[in-house]
Amino acid sequence: MPDQRVGAYAEALLAVASVQEQSSRITDELFRIGEALRNNEGLLTALGNNRLPIANRQGVVEDLLGDKASEVTTALVSMVVATGIGGHLPDILDAMAELAAQQRNRVLAKVRSAIELTEDQKTRLADAIKSSTGTDVEIRVIVDESILGGLVTEIGDDVIDGSVRFRQAQLRETFA
Amino acid sequence: MTATMKRLARTFSLVGVVVLFAATPVGAVGETIGTCMFEKIENADLAALKGPANKDALLSFEADLEKCFEAPNPILPEWDEVIWGGAAFAILFAFMWWKGFPAVSRAMQARSDRIAADLGAAEQAKNQANAVLADHQEQLGGAKAQAAQIIEEARAQADLVAADITARANEEVAQMRAKAAADLEAARMQAVSDLRGTVADIAVGAAERVIKSNLDADTQRALVDAYIDEVASTNA
Repeated sequence: MPDQRVGAYAEALLAVASVQEQSSRITDELFRIGEALRNNEGLLTALGNNRLPIANRQGVVEDLLGDKASEVTTALVSMVVATGIGGHLPDILDAMAELAAQQRNRVLAKVRSAIELTEDQKTRLADAIKSSTGTDVEIRVIVDESILGGLVTEIGDDVIDGSVRFRQAQLRETFA
Repeated sequence: MTATMKRLARTFSLVGVVVLFAATPVGAVGETIGTCMFEKIENADLAALKGPANKDALLSFEADLEKCFEAPNPILPEWDEVIWGGAAFAILFAFMWWKGFPAVSRAMQARSDRIAADLGAAEQAKNQANAVLADHQEQLGGAKAQAAQIIEEARAQADLVAADITARANEEVAQMRAKAAADLEAARMQAVSDLRGTVADIAVGAAERVIKSNLDADTQRALVDAYIDEVASTNA
């Protein structure tokens, strides 16, 4: 899919989300949905399969999100799936998150954590990153229990891995 | 005149002499006593023999007649026969000299030439054969020398090949030994690595179990806070 088309959908979703009362929550939910779909190839293929009836694809979205996301979030994802580009949802939602950060003159920072972070932790982490790199970042948290503990921060191509899983790997290399 | 023609001349001369002398008795044999006496009587002047005054002539005539009773000379022919025989021989000899000798001479000359040519050809063939023989002998000698050279070269080549094979075999043995040693070392290193990996798995697994059992909410928060502090202290 061309980047231009991905960008257009991202702008549209962000425009709709930004006029909602809980715009921050919606954009955060959309970002998390995109990351979840990126790691679930089977579900992504089903949502992008245009040979399936639109109603069926939208039904899958509603069954998955249901009460786990806001109605607006569910409606936006359902709309994208209905247009036949459900297979590109991760890229679109990722572009939307980056676009949202850019609109606030920030850089998107994807943070993987085994637990949910508090607002205070997010703020302190953003401040720490700014003090470290000189860049204002917008924290987007992805709960990933596979890292066991700690955090993994991705800012563009840079990765700061402070997870327990990474420490274990280092320990294994040391033993080996 | 060639020797052959001389022999022919002598042969014809001998034949002529034999004919001459052999013809004389034959001629004499053909004259009978009666004929002899008749011829003498007919040629004699009988009138002159009559009377006593011609007694001597008569005695001579009688003696002449008595010669008819004498046998002819077996060796010397009569002169007329000698003349006729000699003339015939001369004519025959002249004819033979005129016609026979040249033809015979030409035939003999042709035969002599042919024999000489044959001898020349035979000599040439002999020379050619000798040349061919010499050439063959030379080629044979060259072939023998070449064969000896080839055998010598083959022997030298065989020695080189044998030396090369031996060198290769030694090299392969050395390589095999080196490879075996390297394989043994690699196997040993692999075993050590596997053992280390197993030990690491056991140790890390044990550590992971310990960590998981201790990763409660407070620990998780502590880890997050430690991470944030570590990032914040990076620029310090």
